[in-house]
Amino acid sequence: MRPFKLFVAAILIMGAVLHIRPAAAQTVDEIISRGSINIGVLVDLPPYGILNAQQEPDGYDIEVAKLLGKYMGVKVNLVQLTSPNRIPFLVTNKVDMIVATFGITPERAKQVLFSIPYSAIENVVFAPKSAHIEKIEDLKGKRVGVPRGTVQDVILTQTLGSDVKMSRFDDDPSTYQALLTGQVDAIAETGLTGDTFFAANPSGNIERKFMLLRQPNGITLRKDQWNLHQWVNTFIYFVKNNGELSVIHQKWFHQDLPNLPVF
Amino acid sequence: MRAFSVSDVVFLIMAARWTLLLSAFGFIGGGVLGLLIALMRISHSAVPRWIAIFYIRLFQGTPLLLQLFVVFFGADMLGFGLGAYLSALLGLSLNAGAFLGEIWRGSIQAVPKGQWEAAEALGLPAYPRLLRVIFPQALRIALPPTVGFLVNLVKSTSLAAIIGFVELTRAGQLLNNATFRPFTIFGSVALIYFILCWPLSLASQRLEARLARAYQR
Repeated sequence: MRPFKLFVAAILIMGAVLHIRPAAAQTVDEIISRGSINIGVLVDLPPYGILNAQQEPDGYDIEVAKLLGKYMGVKVNLVQLTSPNRIPFLVTNKVDMIVATFGITPERAKQVLFSIPYSAIENVVFAPKSAHIEKIEDLKGKRVGVPRGTVQDVILTQTLGSDVKMSRFDDDPSTYQALLTGQVDAIAETGLTGDTFFAANPSGNIERKFMLLRQPNGITLRKDQWNLHQWVNTFIYFVKNNGELSVIHQKWFHQDLPNLPVF
Repeated sequence: MRAFSVSDVVFLIMAARWTLLLSAFGFIGGGVLGLLIALMRISHSAVPRWIAIFYIRLFQGTPLLLQLFVVFFGADMLGFGLGAYLSALLGLSLNAGAFLGEIWRGSIQAVPKGQWEAAEALGLPAYPRLLRVIFPQALRIALPPTVGFLVNLVKSTSLAAIIGFVELTRAGQLLNNATFRPFTIFGSVALIYFILCWPLSLASQRLEARLARAYQR
């Protein structure tokens, strides 16, 4: 037991000596006095977050993040995250908050703190025009493609269980490509992105079948960032009211901001 | 969705610099660790041998992706953030060290026993025996598997995307998410990997031929 105790002690001492974790900003005052805010974003989810032709982060989420920094009066450092490492980056203080199309669910709220919704994502089932699919039950016995771990993945798996053959892909382009090449019979994907993609690939003869759900997204914080949470809610409320959020929404989605529920 | 352009090709090539740098990290750090492990593994005393075996079992038996994840996020949980660079250096080196250590241990032990005995009979002390007789012969045996591992390491660096590096594969994914042109993009990515790995194999072949010349008498 002795060597083990020594080992644990050594790690703890090292932890105390090398106390060089990134400055974890918990409150509005801390961020303002530091002069910058680290915001985690996705750049692989068009049109919420993409790399533009100059290879810079761009998209709806990125513009919201920049607007947030403008209202707080600090410099915004955008940290590019991937869907699976979003929560680890947040809880280990590597970013102050995430603006990354994070759907608000009670399950996730056990780990993180959600702001009131600032955007919504439409989940739509796409399939070839010839396929007879009008409601979720019509997907029984079919091969359905989804991006792994998304809300549509959870809904289809819970509703249809073993009646549906789920194909889970790493990202959105792979999911679209799978439907185009006929590896799956239908996919559940982001409505607007799907419309653009299938319009650019008319040979597939693919159309919208039905809407699975409209999922509101929140800015995501650590569980103990209550002070910052209150400010973020106030910010969203304000830019929703003065129309700034709607202008960004028009730019990326060509339609007004939908009516977003609050809590 | 936007079009695929020349600037995207430049972006891929710039991202390939990370792939190269991460490979160099892993190979240099792993080389130092691997040499140490190989020597511990052939040691006459049991303790260093056990430590080396434990280390090799641990790092060969768990995925590199998880090793990077644990080093990067785990250090933060314990209270000292290592940052992305140090985590990648540490994660890749620890992993490469285990594999290179085993490759080199095998190469050293593959040198015929007669060579050890002959060197001893000539009265050479332990270190010159290892450095001047055994290592030059082990090098020849170690070269092909070492280069094979290095080529593999170049491709394994794509796993560093989990801790935030936008290296070649990740850059390809990002572009594909913006342009939806998988065949063009991943075709280019594959071509760049090939351009990085092929010269390694060629250099290895030439070096092998040169080292073999001494034995063609």
